[in-house]
Amino acid sequence: MSDMRAREDLAGLRSLGARSGPKAPPTMRGFLQRPWFIGLLALGLLLLVWQWISWVNLQVPGVGEIARFMFTEISGGSHGGALSGEFWAPLAVSLQRYAVGLAIGVPVGAVLGMVIGGVRWARGLFNDTVLVLLALPAVVWAFLASLWFGLSSWGPILAVVLTVVPFMAVNISAGVRNVDPGLAEMSRSFGVPFGRRLHHLLFGGSLPSAFTGLRLSFMTGWNSLLIVEWFGSTSGVGWRARFWYDALRYPGFVGWIFLFVILITLLDRLLLSPLERRAFQWNQRPTLAFAEEA
Amino acid sequence: MATVLIENLTKVYPPTLNNPTQVQALGGLSMSITGNVFVAVVGPSGSGKTTLLNIVAGVERATAGSVRALQEGVPARVGYVFQEPRLLPWRTVVDNMLYVQDRKSDRSRREAEFYLQMVGLSDVADLYPSQLSGGMQQRVGIARAFLVNPDVLLLDEPFSHLDALTGRSLRDYMQRIWLQTRKTALFVTHDVTEAVELADRIVMLRPGGTAYDDIAVDLPRPRRHDDPAVRDMQDEVLRRFDAMGAAVRFGAHA
Repeated sequence: MSDMRAREDLAGLRSLGARSGPKAPPTMRGFLQRPWFIGLLALGLLLLVWQWISWVNLQVPGVGEIARFMFTEISGGSHGGALSGEFWAPLAVSLQRYAVGLAIGVPVGAVLGMVIGGVRWARGLFNDTVLVLLALPAVVWAFLASLWFGLSSWGPILAVVLTVVPFMAVNISAGVRNVDPGLAEMSRSFGVPFGRRLHHLLFGGSLPSAFTGLRLSFMTGWNSLLIVEWFGSTSGVGWRARFWYDALRYPGFVGWIFLFVILITLLDRLLLSPLERRAFQWNQRPTLAFAEEA
Repeated sequence: MATVLIENLTKVYPPTLNNPTQVQALGGLSMSITGNVFVAVVGPSGSGKTTLLNIVAGVERATAGSVRALQEGVPARVGYVFQEPRLLPWRTVVDNMLYVQDRKSDRSRREAEFYLQMVGLSDVADLYPSQLSGGMQQRVGIARAFLVNPDVLLLDEPFSHLDALTGRSLRDYMQRIWLQTRKTALFVTHDVTEAVELADRIVMLRPGGTAYDDIAVDLPRPRRHDDPAVRDMQDEVLRRFDAMGAAVRFGAHA
Protein backbone atom coordinates (compact mmCIF):
# COMPACT_ATOMS: atom_id res chain seq x y z
CA MET A 1 0.00 0.00 0.00
CA SER A 2 2.70 2.42 1.05
CA ASP A 3 4.99 1.64 -1.89
CA MET A 4 2.03 2.01 -4.17
CA ARG A 5 1.26 5.37 -2.62
CA ALA A 6 4.85 6.49 -3.16
CA ARG A 7 4.70 5.46 -6.79
CA GLU A 8 1.40 7.29 -7.15
CA ASP A 9 2.97 10.40 -5.68
CA LEU A 10 5.80 10.27 -8.16
CA ALA A 11 3.56 9.35 -11.04
CA GLY A 12 1.21 12.17 -10.07
CA LEU A 13 3.97 14.73 -10.20
CA ARG A 14 5.28 13.44 -13.48
CA SER A 15 1.86 13.41 -15.08
CA LEU A 16 1.25 16.97 -13.89
CA GLY A 17 4.48 17.93 -15.58
CA ALA A 18 3.61 15.97 -18.68
CA ARG A 19 0.41 17.93 -18.98
CA SER A 20 2.46 20.95 -19.96
CA GLY A 21 3.16 18.94 -23.14
CA PRO A 22 5.64 19.67 -25.93
CA LYS A 23 6.50 23.29 -26.57
CA ALA A 24 4.04 25.05 -28.87
CA PRO A 25 5.46 26.56 -32.10
CA PRO A 26 6.46 30.22 -31.59
CA THR A 27 3.77 32.73 -32.54
CA MET A 28 4.25 36.38 -33.55
CA ARG A 29 2.78 37.47 -30.21
CA GLY A 30 5.18 35.17 -28.30
CA PHE A 31 8.09 36.54 -30.32
CA LEU A 32 7.10 40.13 -29.50
CA GLN A 33 6.97 39.29 -25.80
CA ARG A 34 10.52 37.89 -25.60
CA PRO A 35 12.69 39.82 -23.11
CA TRP A 36 15.52 40.49 -25.54
CA PHE A 37 13.13 41.86 -28.15
CA ILE A 38 11.46 44.12 -25.56
CA GLY A 39 14.92 45.27 -24.41
CA LEU A 40 15.92 46.13 -28.00
CA LEU A 41 12.64 47.94 -28.54
CA ALA A 42 13.16 50.01 -25.38
CA LEU A 43 16.71 50.90 -26.47
CA GLY A 44 15.49 51.88 -29.94
CA LEU A 45 12.78 54.10 -28.45
CA LEU A 46 15.30 55.74 -26.10
CA LEU A 47 17.62 56.55 -29.01
CA LEU A 48 14.72 57.92 -31.03
CA VAL A 49 13.63 60.18 -28.17
CA TRP A 50 17.23 61.29 -27.68
CA GLN A 51 17.58 62.11 -31.35
CA TRP A 52 14.33 64.07 -31.28
CA ILE A 53 15.55 66.09 -28.27
CA SER A 54 18.81 66.87 -30.10
CA TRP A 55 16.75 68.23 -33.04
CA VAL A 56 14.73 70.61 -30.84
CA ASN A 57 17.66 71.59 -28.59
CA LEU A 58 20.92 72.21 -30.39
CA GLN A 59 22.92 72.00 -27.14
CA VAL A 60 22.18 68.27 -26.99
CA PRO A 61 24.38 66.20 -29.31
CA GLY A 62 22.66 63.76 -31.67
CA VAL A 63 23.05 59.98 -31.53
CA GLY A 64 25.23 59.88 -34.65
CA GLU A 65 27.49 62.64 -33.35
CA ILE A 66 28.00 60.81 -30.04
CA ALA A 67 28.69 57.54 -31.85
CA ARG A 68 31.31 59.16 -34.13
CA PHE A 69 32.99 60.84 -31.16
CA MET A 70 33.13 57.64 -29.11
CA PHE A 71 34.46 55.68 -32.08
CA THR A 72 37.36 58.16 -32.27
CA GLU A 73 37.79 57.94 -28.48
CA ILE A 74 37.87 54.14 -28.50
CA SER A 75 40.07 53.81 -31.59
CA GLY A 76 42.55 56.43 -30.31
CA GLY A 77 42.03 58.73 -33.28
CA SER A 78 42.33 62.52 -33.31
CA HIS A 79 39.59 64.74 -31.86
CA GLY A 80 41.22 67.74 -33.50
CA GLY A 81 44.21 69.77 -32.38
CA ALA A 82 46.36 68.03 -29.78
CA LEU A 83 43.47 66.03 -28.39
CA SER A 84 43.40 62.33 -29.19
CA GLY A 85 41.13 59.48 -28.15
CA GLU A 86 41.77 57.72 -24.88
CA PHE A 87 39.52 54.90 -23.78
CA TRP A 88 41.17 51.71 -22.53
CA ALA A 89 43.54 53.34 -20.01
CA PRO A 90 40.82 55.26 -18.06
CA LEU A 91 38.51 52.24 -18.26
CA ALA A 92 41.20 49.87 -16.90
CA VAL A 93 42.04 52.24 -14.04
CA SER A 94 38.37 52.59 -13.04
CA LEU A 95 37.64 48.87 -13.29
CA GLN A 96 40.66 48.12 -11.15
CA ARG A 97 39.52 50.58 -8.45
CA TYR A 98 35.99 49.24 -8.69
CA ALA A 99 37.15 45.62 -8.33
CA VAL A 100 39.37 46.40 -5.32
CA GLY A 101 36.56 48.40 -3.67
CA LEU A 102 34.06 45.57 -4.18
CA ALA A 103 36.56 42.93 -3.06
CA ILE A 104 36.93 44.79 0.26
CA GLY A 105 33.40 46.16 0.70
CA VAL A 106 31.29 43.11 -0.21
CA PRO A 107 32.82 40.65 2.31
CA VAL A 108 33.07 43.31 5.05
CA GLY A 109 29.42 44.26 4.51
CA ALA A 110 28.37 40.61 4.36
CA VAL A 111 30.08 39.73 7.65
CA LEU A 112 28.73 42.88 9.29
CA GLY A 113 25.23 42.02 8.07
CA MET A 114 25.49 38.47 9.43
CA VAL A 115 26.60 39.81 12.81
CA ILE A 116 23.92 42.51 12.96
CA GLY A 117 21.25 40.03 11.86
CA GLY A 118 22.34 37.19 14.12
CA VAL A 119 23.60 38.81 17.32
CA ARG A 120 21.19 41.01 19.28
CA TRP A 121 23.76 43.22 21.03
CA ALA A 122 25.61 43.79 17.75
CA ARG A 123 22.34 44.99 16.22
CA GLY A 124 22.10 47.69 18.86
CA LEU A 125 25.73 48.60 18.39
CA PHE A 126 26.00 48.78 14.60
CA ASN A 127 22.49 49.19 13.21
CA ASP A 128 22.28 52.98 13.52
CA THR A 129 25.84 53.45 12.23
CA VAL A 130 25.03 51.42 9.13
CA LEU A 131 21.82 53.36 8.54
CA VAL A 132 23.74 56.64 8.78
CA LEU A 133 26.27 55.34 6.25
CA LEU A 134 23.39 54.31 4.00
CA ALA A 135 21.76 57.73 4.22
CA LEU A 136 24.89 59.66 3.24
CA PRO A 137 24.94 60.54 -0.46
CA ALA A 138 27.84 59.35 -2.59
CA VAL A 139 28.98 62.89 -3.25
CA VAL A 140 29.82 63.29 0.46
CA TRP A 141 32.15 60.32 0.21
CA ALA A 142 33.61 61.84 -2.92
CA PHE A 143 34.61 65.02 -1.14
CA LEU A 144 35.79 63.26 2.03
CA ALA A 145 37.84 60.72 0.08
CA SER A 146 39.44 63.51 -1.96
CA LEU A 147 40.29 65.39 1.24
CA TRP A 148 41.79 62.32 2.91
CA PHE A 149 43.65 60.75 0.02
CA GLY A 150 44.19 63.58 -2.45
CA LEU A 151 44.34 62.42 -6.05
CA SER A 152 45.54 58.87 -5.36
CA SER A 153 43.56 55.73 -6.21
CA TRP A 154 42.66 55.15 -2.55
CA GLY A 155 40.02 57.90 -2.60
CA PRO A 156 37.83 56.23 -5.25
CA ILE A 157 38.46 52.80 -3.69
CA LEU A 158 37.41 54.01 -0.24
CA ALA A 159 34.30 55.60 -1.71
CA VAL A 160 33.31 52.26 -3.27
CA VAL A 161 33.97 50.43 0.02
CA LEU A 162 31.98 52.92 2.12
CA THR A 163 29.08 52.81 -0.31
CA VAL A 164 28.99 49.05 -0.63
CA VAL A 165 29.34 48.08 3.05
CA PRO A 166 26.01 49.51 4.30
CA PHE A 167 24.05 48.15 1.32
CA MET A 168 25.39 44.65 1.91
CA ALA A 169 25.04 44.88 5.69
CA VAL A 170 21.45 46.12 5.70
CA ASN A 171 20.24 43.56 3.17
CA ILE A 172 22.04 40.58 4.66
CA SER A 173 21.01 41.42 8.21
CA ALA A 174 17.39 41.61 7.03
CA GLY A 175 17.85 38.23 5.30
CA VAL A 176 19.29 36.63 8.44
CA ARG A 177 16.48 38.02 10.59
CA ASN A 178 13.91 36.64 8.14
CA VAL A 179 15.20 33.07 8.29
CA ASP A 180 12.31 30.88 9.43
CA PRO A 181 12.61 30.46 13.25
CA GLY A 182 11.21 26.96 12.82
CA LEU A 183 14.35 26.01 10.88
CA ALA A 184 16.55 27.45 13.63
CA GLU A 185 14.56 25.42 16.17
CA MET A 186 14.96 22.29 14.07
CA SER A 187 18.73 22.88 13.87
CA ARG A 188 18.99 23.30 17.65
CA SER A 189 16.94 20.18 18.35
CA PHE A 190 19.29 18.09 16.17
CA GLY A 191 22.35 19.75 17.73
CA VAL A 192 23.66 21.02 14.37
CA PRO A 193 27.07 22.67 14.98
CA PHE A 194 27.36 26.46 14.71
CA GLY A 195 29.60 26.44 11.63
CA ARG A 196 27.19 24.28 9.68
CA ARG A 197 24.23 26.41 10.79
CA LEU A 198 26.08 29.53 9.67
CA HIS A 199 26.82 28.04 6.26
CA HIS A 200 23.63 26.19 5.43
CA LEU A 201 20.95 27.97 7.46
CA LEU A 202 21.99 31.62 7.81
CA PHE A 203 24.00 32.03 4.63
CA GLY A 204 21.56 29.95 2.58
CA GLY A 205 18.55 31.71 4.06
CA SER A 206 19.91 35.20 3.51
CA LEU A 207 21.03 34.55 -0.07
CA PRO A 208 18.01 36.24 -1.72
CA SER A 209 18.63 39.40 0.32
CA ALA A 210 22.36 39.10 -0.34
CA PHE A 211 21.70 39.23 -4.08
CA THR A 212 19.55 42.32 -3.65
CA GLY A 213 22.39 43.88 -1.64
CA LEU A 214 24.95 42.81 -4.23
CA ARG A 215 22.97 44.29 -7.09
CA LEU A 216 22.49 47.60 -5.27
CA SER A 217 26.15 47.58 -4.22
CA PHE A 218 27.33 47.09 -7.80
CA MET A 219 25.25 50.02 -8.99
CA THR A 220 25.84 52.48 -6.17
CA GLY A 221 29.52 51.52 -5.90
CA TRP A 222 30.01 52.33 -9.59
CA ASN A 223 28.19 55.65 -9.16
CA SER A 224 30.35 56.58 -6.16
CA LEU A 225 33.50 55.70 -8.03
CA LEU A 226 32.59 57.92 -10.94
CA ILE A 227 31.66 60.84 -8.71
CA VAL A 228 34.96 60.64 -6.80
CA GLU A 229 36.88 60.38 -10.07
CA TRP A 230 34.92 63.36 -11.41
CA PHE A 231 35.78 65.58 -8.47
CA GLY A 232 39.05 64.25 -7.13
CA SER A 233 41.07 62.24 -9.63
CA THR A 234 43.31 62.68 -12.64
CA SER A 235 42.53 59.31 -14.13
CA GLY A 236 39.61 56.96 -14.70
CA VAL A 237 36.29 57.00 -16.43
CA GLY A 238 34.78 59.76 -14.24
CA TRP A 239 37.80 61.97 -14.84
CA ARG A 240 37.54 61.43 -18.61
CA ALA A 241 33.84 62.36 -18.64
CA ARG A 242 34.64 65.55 -16.73
CA PHE A 243 37.55 66.28 -19.08
CA TRP A 244 35.18 66.47 -22.05
CA TYR A 245 32.60 68.36 -20.00
CA ASP A 246 35.18 71.02 -19.07
CA ALA A 247 36.33 71.14 -22.71
CA LEU A 248 32.69 71.80 -23.72
CA ARG A 249 32.77 68.71 -25.95
CA TYR A 250 29.33 67.39 -25.07
CA PRO A 251 29.36 64.36 -27.39
CA GLY A 252 32.32 63.09 -25.34
CA PHE A 253 30.68 63.81 -22.02
CA VAL A 254 27.36 62.20 -23.02
CA GLY A 255 29.15 59.29 -24.71
CA TRP A 256 31.00 58.43 -21.49
CA ILE A 257 27.75 58.70 -19.50
CA PHE A 258 26.21 56.18 -21.91
CA LEU A 259 29.22 53.95 -21.38
CA PHE A 260 28.70 54.02 -17.60
CA VAL A 261 25.19 52.74 -18.12
CA ILE A 262 26.20 50.12 -20.67
CA LEU A 263 28.97 48.80 -18.42
CA ILE A 264 26.77 48.44 -15.36
CA THR A 265 24.04 46.79 -17.45
CA LEU A 266 26.53 44.33 -18.92
CA LEU A 267 27.88 43.54 -15.47
CA ASP A 268 24.38 42.82 -14.24
CA ARG A 269 23.41 40.69 -17.23
CA LEU A 270 26.67 38.79 -17.69
CA LEU A 271 27.75 38.27 -14.09
CA LEU A 272 24.97 38.78 -11.54
CA SER A 273 22.04 37.32 -13.43
CA PRO A 274 23.71 33.96 -14.22
CA LEU A 275 25.01 33.76 -10.64
CA GLU A 276 21.54 34.50 -9.34
CA ARG A 277 19.92 31.87 -11.57
CA ARG A 278 22.42 29.33 -10.30
CA ALA A 279 21.93 30.28 -6.65
CA PHE A 280 18.14 30.08 -6.90
CA GLN A 281 17.84 26.72 -8.58
CA TRP A 282 15.91 25.58 -5.53
CA ASN A 283 13.20 28.17 -6.03
CA GLN A 284 11.80 26.56 -9.13
CA ARG A 285 8.20 25.80 -9.77
CA PRO A 286 7.17 22.37 -8.51
CA THR A 287 6.14 19.49 -10.74
CA LEU A 288 7.21 21.02 -14.06
CA ALA A 289 10.84 21.15 -13.05
CA PHE A 290 10.43 17.70 -11.57
CA ALA A 291 9.18 16.35 -14.87
CA GLU A 292 12.07 17.95 -16.72
CA GLU A 293 14.57 16.21 -14.46
CA ALA A 294 12.81 12.85 -14.63
CA MET B 1 18.40 1.44 26.66
CA ALA B 2 17.01 4.97 26.64
CA THR B 3 15.17 6.53 29.53
CA VAL B 4 13.17 9.75 29.66
CA LEU B 5 12.45 10.99 33.18
CA ILE B 6 10.08 13.90 33.53
CA GLU B 7 9.66 15.22 37.07
CA ASN B 8 7.25 17.91 38.15
CA LEU B 9 7.71 19.72 34.84
CA THR B 10 6.26 23.21 34.75
CA LYS B 11 6.34 25.74 31.93
CA VAL B 12 4.81 29.18 32.23
CA TYR B 13 5.00 31.60 29.32
CA PRO B 14 5.32 35.23 30.46
CA PRO B 15 2.86 37.87 29.21
CA THR B 16 3.51 39.24 25.73
CA LEU B 17 2.18 42.18 23.74
CA ASN B 18 -0.35 39.91 22.03
CA ASN B 19 -1.27 38.01 25.17
CA PRO B 20 -1.10 40.19 28.28
CA THR B 21 -1.66 37.33 30.74
CA GLN B 22 0.84 34.59 31.49
CA VAL B 23 0.03 31.14 30.14
CA GLN B 24 0.72 27.91 31.96
CA ALA B 25 1.50 25.22 29.36
CA LEU B 26 2.66 22.53 31.78
CA GLY B 27 1.65 22.38 35.41
CA GLY B 28 3.88 19.90 37.21
CA LEU B 29 3.86 16.94 34.82
CA SER B 30 5.63 13.79 35.93
CA MET B 31 6.08 10.65 33.84
CA SER B 32 8.82 8.26 32.84
CA ILE B 33 9.57 6.22 29.76
CA THR B 34 11.97 3.33 29.89
CA GLY B 35 13.09 1.07 27.09
CA ASN B 36 12.13 0.74 23.46
CA VAL B 37 8.51 1.73 23.74
CA PHE B 38 6.27 3.98 21.69
CA VAL B 39 4.47 6.38 24.02
CA ALA B 40 1.71 8.68 22.79
CA VAL B 41 0.84 11.83 24.68
CA VAL B 42 -2.73 12.83 23.91
CA GLY B 43 -4.53 15.93 25.03
CA PRO B 44 -6.57 18.90 23.91
CA SER B 45 -5.06 22.16 22.64
CA GLY B 46 -3.37 24.01 25.47
CA SER B 47 -2.36 20.91 27.38
CA GLY B 48 1.34 21.57 26.69
CA LYS B 49 2.06 18.68 24.33
CA THR B 50 4.39 20.51 21.96
CA THR B 51 6.00 22.39 24.86
CA LEU B 52 6.79 19.02 26.45
CA LEU B 53 8.58 17.81 23.30
CA ASN B 54 10.46 21.10 22.88
CA ILE B 55 11.75 20.87 26.45
CA VAL B 56 12.82 17.23 25.96
CA ALA B 57 14.60 18.29 22.71
CA GLY B 58 16.35 21.16 24.51
CA VAL B 59 14.73 23.79 22.30
CA GLU B 60 12.87 25.36 25.24
CA ARG B 61 13.68 25.65 28.95
CA ALA B 62 11.39 24.54 31.73
CA THR B 63 10.18 27.07 34.30
CA ALA B 64 10.48 24.42 37.03
CA GLY B 65 11.01 20.68 37.31
CA SER B 66 13.35 18.58 35.23
CA VAL B 67 13.63 16.43 32.12
CA ARG B 68 16.38 13.91 31.66
CA ALA B 69 16.71 11.96 28.42
CA LEU B 70 19.50 9.47 28.91
CA GLN B 71 21.06 6.60 27.00
CA GLU B 72 23.14 4.36 29.25
CA GLY B 73 23.64 7.27 31.65
CA VAL B 74 24.75 9.85 29.07
CA PRO B 75 22.53 12.45 27.36
CA ALA B 76 20.45 10.75 24.69
CA ARG B 77 20.64 11.72 21.04
CA VAL B 78 17.30 13.10 19.90
CA GLY B 79 15.56 12.84 16.51
CA TYR B 80 12.65 15.21 16.04
CA VAL B 81 9.79 15.02 13.52
CA PHE B 82 7.86 18.30 13.52
CA GLN B 83 4.31 19.16 12.55
CA GLU B 84 5.67 20.72 9.35
CA PRO B 85 8.61 19.16 7.47
CA ARG B 86 11.00 22.02 8.36
CA LEU B 87 13.37 21.38 5.47
CA LEU B 88 15.84 23.99 4.20
CA PRO B 89 14.19 25.01 0.89
CA TRP B 90 17.56 25.93 -0.66
CA ARG B 91 19.14 22.54 -0.06
CA THR B 92 18.39 19.28 -1.84
CA VAL B 93 16.66 16.45 -0.02
CA VAL B 94 19.88 14.57 0.63
CA ASP B 95 21.68 17.73 1.77
CA ASN B 96 18.82 18.42 4.16
CA MET B 97 19.42 15.01 5.68
CA LEU B 98 23.20 15.36 5.84
CA TYR B 99 22.73 18.78 7.47
CA VAL B 100 21.67 17.14 10.73
CA GLN B 101 24.15 14.28 10.58
CA ASP B 102 27.52 14.28 12.30
CA ARG B 103 29.66 13.13 9.43
CA LYS B 104 29.66 13.91 5.75
CA SER B 105 30.97 11.13 3.59
CA ASP B 106 29.88 8.67 0.95
CA ARG B 107 28.75 6.43 3.77
CA SER B 108 26.56 9.19 5.19
CA ARG B 109 24.98 9.72 1.80
CA ARG B 110 24.33 5.99 1.46
CA GLU B 111 22.72 5.98 4.91
CA ALA B 112 20.56 8.96 3.95
CA GLU B 113 19.48 7.18 0.78
CA PHE B 114 18.74 4.05 2.79
CA TYR B 115 16.31 5.90 5.07
CA LEU B 116 14.78 7.72 2.11
CA GLN B 117 14.17 4.33 0.57
CA MET B 118 12.52 3.17 3.79
CA VAL B 119 9.96 5.94 3.45
CA GLY B 120 9.45 5.13 -0.23
CA LEU B 121 11.46 8.05 -1.62
CA SER B 122 14.41 6.48 -3.39
CA ASP B 123 14.24 8.77 -6.45
CA VAL B 124 14.17 12.19 -4.84
CA ALA B 125 17.56 12.58 -3.12
CA ASP B 126 18.77 15.30 -5.47
CA LEU B 127 15.51 17.21 -5.77
CA TYR B 128 14.64 20.35 -3.82
CA PRO B 129 11.81 20.32 -1.25
CA SER B 130 9.71 22.65 -3.42
CA GLN B 131 9.60 19.91 -6.02
CA LEU B 132 7.91 17.47 -3.62
CA SER B 133 4.35 17.21 -2.36
CA GLY B 134 3.58 17.98 1.29
CA GLY B 135 3.34 14.29 2.15
CA MET B 136 6.69 13.55 0.49
CA GLN B 137 8.33 16.40 2.39
CA GLN B 138 7.00 15.04 5.64
CA ARG B 139 8.41 11.61 4.77
CA VAL B 140 11.81 13.27 4.29
CA GLY B 141 11.35 14.74 7.78
CA ILE B 142 10.73 11.26 9.15
CA ALA B 143 13.74 9.80 7.31
CA ARG B 144 15.90 12.66 8.63
CA ALA B 145 14.92 11.91 12.22
CA PHE B 146 15.88 8.24 11.84
CA LEU B 147 19.13 9.07 10.04
CA VAL B 148 20.74 10.53 13.17
CA ASN B 149 20.24 7.14 14.83
CA PRO B 150 18.36 8.72 17.72
CA ASP B 151 18.14 7.22 21.17
CA VAL B 152 14.86 9.05 21.63
CA LEU B 153 12.49 9.85 18.79
CA LEU B 154 10.20 12.85 19.26
CA LEU B 155 7.14 13.21 17.04
CA ASP B 156 5.03 16.36 17.21
CA GLU B 157 1.73 15.69 15.43
CA PRO B 158 3.58 14.82 12.22
CA PHE B 159 0.43 13.74 10.37
CA SER B 160 -1.87 16.57 11.41
CA HIS B 161 -1.23 18.80 8.39
CA LEU B 162 -1.82 16.07 5.86
CA ASP B 163 -5.00 14.85 4.21
CA ALA B 164 -6.53 11.67 5.67
CA LEU B 165 -5.17 9.28 3.01
CA THR B 166 -1.64 10.67 3.06
CA GLY B 167 -1.68 10.69 6.85
CA ARG B 168 -2.69 7.04 6.96
CA SER B 169 0.02 6.15 4.45
CA LEU B 170 2.64 7.92 6.56
CA ARG B 171 1.46 6.16 9.71
CA ASP B 172 2.04 2.88 7.87
CA TYR B 173 5.60 3.98 7.03
CA MET B 174 6.17 5.12 10.59
CA GLN B 175 4.95 1.84 12.05
CA ARG B 176 7.07 -0.20 9.66
CA ILE B 177 10.28 1.75 10.37
CA TRP B 178 9.65 1.76 14.08
CA LEU B 179 9.19 -2.02 14.09
CA GLN B 180 12.60 -2.32 12.41
CA THR B 181 14.41 0.17 14.62
CA ARG B 182 12.47 0.03 17.94
CA LYS B 183 13.50 3.48 19.08
CA THR B 184 12.15 4.96 22.30
CA ALA B 185 9.46 7.24 20.92
CA LEU B 186 7.47 10.08 22.43
CA PHE B 187 4.59 10.91 20.11
CA VAL B 188 2.36 13.91 20.65
CA THR B 189 -1.06 13.95 19.01
CA HIS B 190 -4.63 15.08 19.50
CA ASP B 191 -5.88 12.19 17.36
CA VAL B 192 -6.87 9.07 19.28
CA THR B 193 -6.86 6.95 16.09
CA GLU B 194 -3.18 7.69 15.50
CA ALA B 195 -2.32 7.12 19.13
CA VAL B 196 -3.95 3.69 19.25
CA GLU B 197 -2.48 2.65 15.90
CA LEU B 198 1.08 3.48 16.87
CA ALA B 199 1.55 3.51 20.64
CA ASP B 200 2.26 0.94 23.34
CA ARG B 201 1.08 3.39 25.92
CA ILE B 202 -1.11 6.48 25.88
CA VAL B 203 -0.63 9.25 28.42
CA MET B 204 -3.63 11.58 28.58
CA LEU B 205 -3.02 15.20 29.50
CA ARG B 206 -5.67 17.58 30.75
CA PRO B 207 -5.70 21.32 29.91
CA GLY B 208 -3.07 23.06 31.99
CA GLY B 209 -0.53 20.34 31.36
CA THR B 210 -0.97 17.65 34.01
CA ALA B 211 -1.34 13.90 33.48
CA TYR B 212 -4.84 12.49 33.80
CA ASP B 213 -4.53 8.86 32.77
CA ASP B 214 -1.98 6.34 31.53
CA ILE B 215 -3.38 3.59 29.30
CA ALA B 216 -1.50 0.51 28.09
CA VAL B 217 -2.24 -0.45 24.47
CA ASP B 218 -1.57 -4.14 24.40
CA LEU B 219 -2.36 -4.95 20.78
CA PRO B 220 -0.32 -7.02 18.31
CA ARG B 221 1.71 -5.23 15.59
CA PRO B 222 1.57 -4.29 12.82
CA ARG B 223 -1.79 -2.69 13.48
CA ARG B 224 -4.33 -1.59 10.93
CA HIS B 225 -6.73 1.27 11.40
CA ASP B 226 -9.71 -0.91 10.46
CA ASP B 227 -8.81 -3.77 12.80
CA PRO B 228 -11.79 -4.32 15.19
CA ALA B 229 -9.44 -4.58 18.18
CA VAL B 230 -7.90 -1.20 17.26
CA ARG B 231 -11.36 0.33 16.92
CA ASP B 232 -12.44 -1.09 20.29
CA MET B 233 -9.35 0.41 21.89
CA GLN B 234 -10.08 3.78 20.30
CA ASP B 235 -13.59 3.64 21.77
CA GLU B 236 -12.16 2.80 25.16
CA VAL B 237 -9.71 5.75 25.04
CA LEU B 238 -12.50 8.10 23.93
CA ARG B 239 -14.70 6.89 26.81
CA ARG B 240 -11.93 7.79 29.22
CA PHE B 241 -11.67 11.22 27.64
CA ASP B 242 -15.39 11.69 28.12
CA ALA B 243 -14.92 10.73 31.71
CA MET B 244 -12.17 13.29 32.05
CA GLY B 245 -14.67 15.87 30.86
CA ALA B 246 -12.16 17.51 28.58
CA ALA B 247 -13.16 20.88 27.22
CA VAL B 248 -12.34 19.67 23.75
CA ARG B 249 -13.90 16.43 22.50
CA PHE B 250 -11.84 14.18 20.25
CA GLY B 251 -13.20 12.41 17.20
CA ALA B 252 -11.71 9.22 15.85
CA HIS B 253 -11.64 9.04 12.09
CA ALA B 254 -11.09 6.06 9.88
